[in-house]
Amino acid sequence: MSSIESFISNFTTAVDFQDAVEIKAGTRLADLAEWDSLAALGVIVMFDMEYGVTITGNDLKDCSAIQDVFDLIAKKKG
Amino acid sequence: MATAILDKIRVAGLVSCVPRKVVSNLDCPPEKRAERERLVRNIGIQTRRVCDAGQAFSDLALPAAEKLISGLDWKKEDIDVLLVVTQSPDYPIPATAIIMQDRLGLSKSTLAFDINLGCSGYPYGLFVLGSMLSGGRMRRGIVLVGDKSSNPESHDNGLLSLFGDAATATALEFHESAPQMRFHFGSDGSGYKAIIIPAGGQRIPMQAHHLERLPGEDGISRKGTDVILDGPAILNFSIREVPPAVTTLLASSPYTAEAIDYFVFHQANRMINETIRKKLGLPEAKVPSSLHDFGNTSSASIPMTMTVRLRESLLSGPKRVLMSGFGVGLSWASCILELDRPYLPELIEL
Repeated sequence: MSSIESFISNFTTAVDFQDAVEIKAGTRLADLAEWDSLAALGVIVMFDMEYGVTITGNDLKDCSAIQDVFDLIAKKKG
Repeated sequence: MATAILDKIRVAGLVSCVPRKVVSNLDCPPEKRAERERLVRNIGIQTRRVCDAGQAFSDLALPAAEKLISGLDWKKEDIDVLLVVTQSPDYPIPATAIIMQDRLGLSKSTLAFDINLGCSGYPYGLFVLGSMLSGGRMRRGIVLVGDKSSNPESHDNGLLSLFGDAATATALEFHESAPQMRFHFGSDGSGYKAIIIPAGGQRIPMQAHHLERLPGEDGISRKGTDVILDGPAILNFSIREVPPAVTTLLASSPYTAEAIDYFVFHQANRMINETIRKKLGLPEAKVPSSLHDFGNTSSASIPMTMTVRLRESLLSGPKRVLMSGFGVGLSWASCILELDRPYLPELIEL
């Protein structure tokens, strides 16, 4: 089972933030300046490579907080 | 699952041509520099070659084909087939290949037509031309592959930073003792909207409002005649379909991945290409890339990469190369070829 801590680490790497940001489970995606289409692609690759899960652009659009993105793992695997 | 084998076809030569004009993705105001560096790092594209206004794909293909014919010392009357694989034809009709028959001074007995494919187009071009020649009645043919994909007027930053223009000319000939070529093909029309120019065809005929830029669902303003790319859909398609296609092709061949000298993939963007490479467990040294300097050059990207990254190696002795193209359609195709020192001059810069 994946922990949210390791997920946040993977997420941070995938988004490739220029400026360090503190991310928690409750952080809203809309509050991240660098949450853009490029970041979404990085996160889709990360889901595939790290968790063996395919997510779509719409899956990400439906997420508001980091916790929602993390929950996609269980939702898609379930 | 479509797989095929072609006998008695040799790749005689390959010439690539790009516009001289270089555009850098880092050419931006200082306040945008960090954002741009992040983009370059992730898509892997720093510079691209871009056509001048009025310069068409066929204007790049012409010198490539002329150099190919003269370098091979082929007589023009001996060229039986001229194919063009492009999605940037000179005109909606007639086919660019037929216009090129005349521009190249080829015989009126030349068989010429266009194939409407993008990023997957190179293996398809080789297969269609090779199939026509493998019977041995028609013996020599050329396939011109590439696109003018750049659109400097676009307001879509993703699109603007991605595409470079390029044209390539590849010569195939009937050759009794040539090694077999092996192919694998795939099509998935359910994904046709992932890369699309919506207006201007029969489904949505051109109207005045298609020439205005209107904001789309993603907030980007586009004309009806601009390309729309669905990045996540293309990414998912590429990493879902390409690795198993390559594995299937290898399994249907006598070769293991270790027996392949180079894996030349369509140059989509770094994220996609690196994910495919890692999924297949291939070493970087066997997977050349031309993305950094030339961007995504559509159907020309496979032969372009061979010209700019593998030329010396391919001229040094026989090499076994696996190529895989994938993209608009959705469409994909892979092939394994043995290249035995083809005519392969340096890149033409026009």
